[in-house]
Amino acid sequence: MTKQRIFNILKKEWQVMFTELNSLMLVTVLPVIILAQGLLYVWLIEKFGGESMINSSFFQSVLRKISEVMSAVSNLEITEQLQVFLLSQFNFYLLLIPVMIAVSFATFSIVDEKQTHSLEALLATPVRTWELLLGKALSGAIPAIIVTWICGALLLLGVQVLGWGDLLTYFLNPAWFIILFLLTPAISILSFLLGVIGSARAKDSKSAQNLVVLIVLPVLALIGIQISGVVWFTTILTLVLALAVVVIDFFVLKVAVRLFSRESIIISWR
Amino acid sequence: MIIETNNLTRKFGDRLAVDNLNLTAEEGKILGFLGPNGAGKTTTMRMLAGLISPTSGYAVVDGIRPDKEAERVHEIIGILTETPGFYNNLSAQRNLEYFAGFYNLSDASAQIEKYLKLMELWERKSDKVGTFSKGMKQRLAITRALIHRPKILFLDEPTSGLDPEVSQEVRGLIQNLSREGYTIILSTHNLSEAEQLCHRIAVIRSALVTLDTPANLRKRLFKHQTMIKLEEIDENLIQAISKLDYVNKHSREENTLLIELADPSKHQSDLIKKIVEAGGRIIEVTDKKHSLEDIYLSLLNEEEKI
Ligand SMILES: Nc1ncnc2c1ncn2[C@@H]1O[C@H](COP(=O)(O)OP(=O)(O)O)[C@@H](O)[C@H]1O
Ligand SMILES: [Mg+2]
Repeated sequence: MTKQRIFNILKKEWQVMFTELNSLMLVTVLPVIILAQGLLYVWLIEKFGGESMINSSFFQSVLRKISEVMSAVSNLEITEQLQVFLLSQFNFYLLLIPVMIAVSFATFSIVDEKQTHSLEALLATPVRTWELLLGKALSGAIPAIIVTWICGALLLLGVQVLGWGDLLTYFLNPAWFIILFLLTPAISILSFLLGVIGSARAKDSKSAQNLVVLIVLPVLALIGIQISGVVWFTTILTLVLALAVVVIDFFVLKVAVRLFSRESIIISWR
Repeated sequence: MIIETNNLTRKFGDRLAVDNLNLTAEEGKILGFLGPNGAGKTTTMRMLAGLISPTSGYAVVDGIRPDKEAERVHEIIGILTETPGFYNNLSAQRNLEYFAGFYNLSDASAQIEKYLKLMELWERKSDKVGTFSKGMKQRLAITRALIHRPKILFLDEPTSGLDPEVSQEVRGLIQNLSREGYTIILSTHNLSEAEQLCHRIAVIRSALVTLDTPANLRKRLFKHQTMIKLEEIDENLIQAISKLDYVNKHSREENTLLIELADPSKHQSDLIKKIVEAGGRIIEVTDKKHSLEDIYLSLLNEEEKI
């Protein structure tokens, strides 16, 4: 019965989501933009040789850092080094996709239920509130993860097609897989739960939307940290980061379950 | 008794929303919760339906404690909430399918068809609920509460916000459901609605003011008064009347006497005779009727004095 109920929730959530133009845009346009941007930068470096960039002291120091972590990189030409550097940024850049999709779906789903008062009737059915939360979380996390994976695949394809295939050997390291298959799911769920928590307290979709920005910030920070060369996320460090997010998931889940209790929805969602 | 409450109490912070409520509901009957806004009707219903917990006391619904086994209660109840909501971008049928999907129903689509037809919504089944009128949404919400064949139906202000014609239609529907044998708990602040629909009425104002049949409520507070209109009234006449031992109370409004008799059926003819003997020239004799409205207000006022 639980499985049946969760499928029921998934089906309805997706039906509702895809009647909304906004959510369709989100799962199509957003990834395309991010993907195109990433490839564009890498292409620009090749096209313009990156002469002035290479001479800047910032890139010199960053490239020294990469070479320390990935010694093989230092054998490459300087433009190729830069390309590897930028492609590596893509790891975290890609995380914007699950975060934005999951948070947006969460706020949309909850705000809609709040505004229409449909949850009270739902909570009067034999559904368990954890089934409801899980169903909703999956409905946001699954598209977020799938779209990210598709993007990851398209990126590899793009790199091949654009003729930088040999760069993949530097770029396709264990960290990339950890990010795609551990960090992406973990961060999708985290974003969804934060979206639920935020919109459970928010009064309308506007304030819920602000939340998206708030949750995207740490990911931007992550990108900033790596791109500025302050910390380079090696395999180990990436794994630690991913596991930390998994742990945070559990804590946030606890908060979400409490906020999502029948009693608090009925009493405080007015 | 299919529902019993035992000192059922609910506080919101310091505010006592429901105060030591003790009441029962009979199987197959309509029990009304009647009370002004903020009287605790919705809160009581939510506690009975296992949506919120009591602060103290408890309820038993068909042998189950809703605060302990909410999901088991949910299997056997249907509820029309005060502001029923749907997914406005989905069709009526799809909405019902979704809600039906949480019960163990083998014939959900047959049930949905049956009730959509009954509620005259079948032609609009594929239309988005967002395009429905208020009355249609209300009928759809009642449908939603029915498809899983609940034993008990909770209807929280089923006609509030509907125009008089649609309200009457919904009331007719509720009467039909009652004839089918549903146990119905209905909340309303509309007195004539309570009188028209309910077998028993619980007048609530946080605490239970009284619980009785509409007829008994009338009788209990019905102080029979005889109105006698005369050509003129003099002191003589008044004195003659006050001497009669079966006259409990009397008052005068211009040329009309208002007299409360111990037993009208027995004493009215004698009273008239005595008035004529005292020289009164009677124009008209009538009974002063109390509306249920008066009874309700006096009940609530009595409560206020305590
Ligand atoms: N979720 C809530 N939070 C705080 N106070 C509430 C809540 N729900 C109801 N109340 C208070 O409880 C009292 C009873 O409300 P309610 O049960 O809605 O009355 P009714 O349905 O008879 O109009 C009111 O004073 C109301 O303000
Ligand atoms: Mg109410």
